Amino acid sequence: MSEEISVSRHGKPTKSPADSASAAPRLRLAGITKTYGPTRAIDGLSFGVAAGDIVGLIGANGAGKSTLMRVLAGVTHPDAGEMDVAGEPIDFAAFSPQAARKLGIRIVHQELSLCDSLSVAENFYVEQPRPNDFNPLWLQDYRRMALDSLQAIFPDNGITVDKPISQIPLPQRQMIEIARAACDPLLRVLILDEPTSSLDSLRAEQLARFIRDRAAAGVAVIFISHKLKEVAAIATRILVLRNGALARESGNVPMTSHEMVAAMVGEASQELERLHRSSFNMAGKVLVEITSPWAGQSIPLRAGQIVGLAGLEGNGQREFLRALYGAARGNRAPGLSCRATASFVPGDRKAEGLFPLWDVLRNATIGIIAAGRNGGVLREKAEMSTAKAWLEAVQIPIARLVSPILELSGGNQQKVLMARALMAETDVVLLDDPTRGVDVQIKRDFYRLVRTLAEAGKLVVWYSSETIEFAECDYVLLFHDRSIRRTLSGSDLTEDAIVNASFSEKDDVQISAPPPSRTTNLHLNALSLMPFFTTALLLLVIGLLNRNAVSALGLDLLMTAAIPLVLVSLAQLFIIGGSEIDLGIGAFAGLTNVISATILVSDPAIGCACLALALAGYMAFGLLVQARSIPAIIVTLGASFVWLGIGYTLQQTPGGSSPGWLADLAAFSVLNIPASALCLLAASVLALAANMSRRGVVLRAFGANPLAMVQSGWSPLSAALARYAISGAFGLAAGLAMTAINTASDINAGNSYTLLSIAAVVIGGSSLAGGRITPLGTVFGAISLSLVGSLLGLLDASTDYNALVQGGLLIGIIMLQTILSKAAP
Amino acid sequence: MRVLDWMRNNRWSFAAAGVATLWLLLSVITSHFTLNSLSGVATSASFLVIVAVGQMFVVGSGSGNIDLSLPSVMTVSAFVTLILSQGRNAGLFLALPAVLAIGLATGAANAFLVVKLRIPAIIATLAIGYVLDSATLIANRELEVFTVSSMLRAISSSRPGGVPSILLLALALIVVASAIVRTTSYGRTLMAVGQNAGAAHLAGIRVGRTTTIAFLISSVLGALGGMLLSAHAGGAYLQMGEPYLLQSVGAVVVGGTLITGGSVTALGTFFGSILLVLLVTTMQASGWSPGMQQVVQGVMIIAILAAAGSGMGRRAA
Repeated sequence: MSEEISVSRHGKPTKSPADSASAAPRLRLAGITKTYGPTRAIDGLSFGVAAGDIVGLIGANGAGKSTLMRVLAGVTHPDAGEMDVAGEPIDFAAFSPQAARKLGIRIVHQELSLCDSLSVAENFYVEQPRPNDFNPLWLQDYRRMALDSLQAIFPDNGITVDKPISQIPLPQRQMIEIARAACDPLLRVLILDEPTSSLDSLRAEQLARFIRDRAAAGVAVIFISHKLKEVAAIATRILVLRNGALARESGNVPMTSHEMVAAMVGEASQELERLHRSSFNMAGKVLVEITSPWAGQSIPLRAGQIVGLAGLEGNGQREFLRALYGAARGNRAPGLSCRATASFVPGDRKAEGLFPLWDVLRNATIGIIAAGRNGGVLREKAEMSTAKAWLEAVQIPIARLVSPILELSGGNQQKVLMARALMAETDVVLLDDPTRGVDVQIKRDFYRLVRTLAEAGKLVVWYSSETIEFAECDYVLLFHDRSIRRTLSGSDLTEDAIVNASFSEKDDVQISAPPPSRTTNLHLNALSLMPFFTTALLLLVIGLLNRNAVSALGLDLLMTAAIPLVLVSLAQLFIIGGSEIDLGIGAFAGLTNVISATILVSDPAIGCACLALALAGYMAFGLLVQARSIPAIIVTLGASFVWLGIGYTLQQTPGGSSPGWLADLAAFSVLNIPASALCLLAASVLALAANMSRRGVVLRAFGANPLAMVQSGWSPLSAALARYAISGAFGLAAGLAMTAINTASDINAGNSYTLLSIAAVVIGGSSLAGGRITPLGTVFGAISLSLVGSLLGLLDASTDYNALVQGGLLIGIIMLQTILSKAAP
Repeated sequence: MRVLDWMRNNRWSFAAAGVATLWLLLSVITSHFTLNSLSGVATSASFLVIVAVGQMFVVGSGSGNIDLSLPSVMTVSAFVTLILSQGRNAGLFLALPAVLAIGLATGAANAFLVVKLRIPAIIATLAIGYVLDSATLIANRELEVFTVSSMLRAISSSRPGGVPSILLLALALIVVASAIVRTTSYGRTLMAVGQNAGAAHLAGIRVGRTTTIAFLISSVLGALGGMLLSAHAGGAYLQMGEPYLLQSVGAVVVGGTLITGGSVTALGTFFGSILLVLLVTTMQASGWSPGMQQVVQGVMIIAILAAAGSGMGRRAA
């Protein structure tokens, strides 16, 4: 433990702050404090970072590193304290991620913020957009930027900048995320949060070299890592955080790993305060057995034990708890066998624990009610008295029984969740970091409760992000990379030992990320080729049934029939790309059909105005969805009735005619290529252009990762406006096409297109989850569906079966997609 | 204001207030607003109530769940009733199980797609609706007789003591639905799932099972509603369920059930149904064209959501 690690590992002289070029510190913090409820995340933190400094920031779980980073990046505002950047004081009220970026502060987060469905180059654009110039080759600049910056940091990286992030393995994603932030020409302060967590030693070394170069050029670097050796090798100064405050700061004197760990843990408390328990129960019944892949050798967990799950956050502890919960409920869980009942106490109260509309009573009793003990009928008195008894046990005042749960403090809410689990009286109780953000008094009550449970013969499995809590445990399992590496018990069980073990996992473990397996690519390629394949197949079958149908004239007819569906599908495509669904697009096309066949004919000026008004209305509905956060389905469903109602008012029965210019357009042909083919071509080109434009990239990014986009400063409202403008335009075109083709209008003619358009988009390869837009696939998907209709006609199948086929097709395709995507690893 | 606070805690009161207001408006507009016309409104509203209660359970299960197959289930059930009963009471012994089977099968199919395959409910139920539409078209060819069995007609259209029997049925349904939600474990677990499916899972609830039952309830009620509607209308015709799509969602939302799930009110759905039917009646009495009536219904639902909306709703697809 006492190996000397020299800061100047590679022979380069240590840079002392005094040697730095500029006198004023790049970054200075004074008295920064941030409190979340009863927890002081940062407590009066003060330090400075000079230009050219490489500051290594280390600390145990919960020491305050993440909160500090959020303050520096403008995501969170501190409750007190000051910050200067290059001598200029920061006004926190106005400080935001965009403002931080303008000052040259760039942060690479631990959780990657790339947009999965966008390419590498497109992700670079989204981070650093430059003003619009009408340059169709705008992406080239960003390709170059991506290639250059990746090459500068990680030479010979082999990353294809046109590939979507979803097809790129994790280590490369981390490299991209780093390059994206580091290539900012205005860079002054670079903050890296666990940047090498997925990098192998070669890449980590390249990163280290890059950091030194940038520091030499005057950039200030803050480097957070749990890999102590790495931090020691690269940092010019080391700051150790403990409980939100600066525990130790090193200068030129190098720190050993031992010293770093000691500083993180606290010199005074090397031994945990072991509160006395009656004998550690080694004789209880084995309730859980852990085997591979979770553990190398079989580990039994027994009744009456308190078992802690330790290790750095994110190493599989929470997944283990959930898998154990599933195993207890009878689900398949490889490596776990559990012959007992289990209840779960979640720590992320808002997301996984509370039922916000209910009071304390109902939140508490839902566990036993779900178990259906009263034969399915609720008895108010019995419920009340049971709840009272258990709430007393967790020390919540009875008066609070009818308070809305959200009115309670975090600690008390946690107690209610504990009561819920206890009421179920299961053999095993699973705790998922329940004392996070809870005040000290309630924590003590918790520990007492846990001990009572163990004494009553329960098995308690407890994940905690605070090492000191493992004092309560009999037995601690140390997690690393989703498996248990060590177990500690008895006299081995000290905070020092736990922290040491967590931090000293081999720093240079080769992360062997498997290359995207052949099967993944095969599945993806099969999916994306499907629409073209089905179109060809259908044409073949149709041709076999009737030669004439695939003659030049026949094809023209087939394509003409497909045009309205293609256009409606393209409209739906951009909506689905934003992870919404438009239930009214068919009706909207019907409305523009009616307007263009009636008003537009009799009075072109008013007709155009009406069409413009309809488009504006369509966009307004889209804006409403975003602005008021209401579900798009209901709005578009209501909108469909508005379109139908207006259309019906304009024209009660089908009729109308096509305006002259539109009829001419329909007959237009170039080089013997009929208008239908030209129209499909034009639609495809326009859709592709829209999708590949800057705006299109932004829309896809919003569909993929809206939070990251908002944090980068993009406006969701203007994105919604653009999205619905594009869709509305295609919907309008669909209506005009229907007028041109049918030379008449019928308000109900567009209704069947709604469902079919969803099917076409799904066939085309776009995901219903949003973010992925495939215009060509959608066009051919729509053509395929239209061909199915024609095929049914040729087969003399009754039109009664059309709806069945359409519905069946949609279900079949989605099922196929689900199966294929699950089969791919 | 204490009154306003009470109303916020009992959201059905907004719909009830709306009903009272519209009723007043209607009596002012039409000088002869007789008890007969009120009974007509109550009858139409009762059919909507049957279907809306089913929709209410599905919406209550949260996660953006909605049942768009209701109109198709209603229509196909109407056809099947007429075909199998052939206008005879004895035929009901054949028709009723068949209709129930249709409801259960549809609900099961919806649930399978949504729970097992994780297909968003809008798409799943829309697709199932399409499949049922085809079945309706086929049934349409088989339909020859347009007579309704007298027993069924008695339930749907008689007036014991001047009160429409269908209204009594609707009220009974409201009482039962309310009881399920408030006094059974299922009702409680459904509300939990609707608020936070993840938390419900960790609390020990079988989320899939709970959601499935909601879809089953909805489709069965839709099927029964279609059966009764065929008796009332004296026949079955294509698209007869069509108006009930938007109206079932509207009645639920206007009545105070949260569109995001987790909180339902059967009483509110009742008043919401009456409100919608009254709205249509008011518009008809004012001589508004059917087109405008559709527009107003669409706008009203969006407006109510937008007013209640922000923060409560998610940008659910």
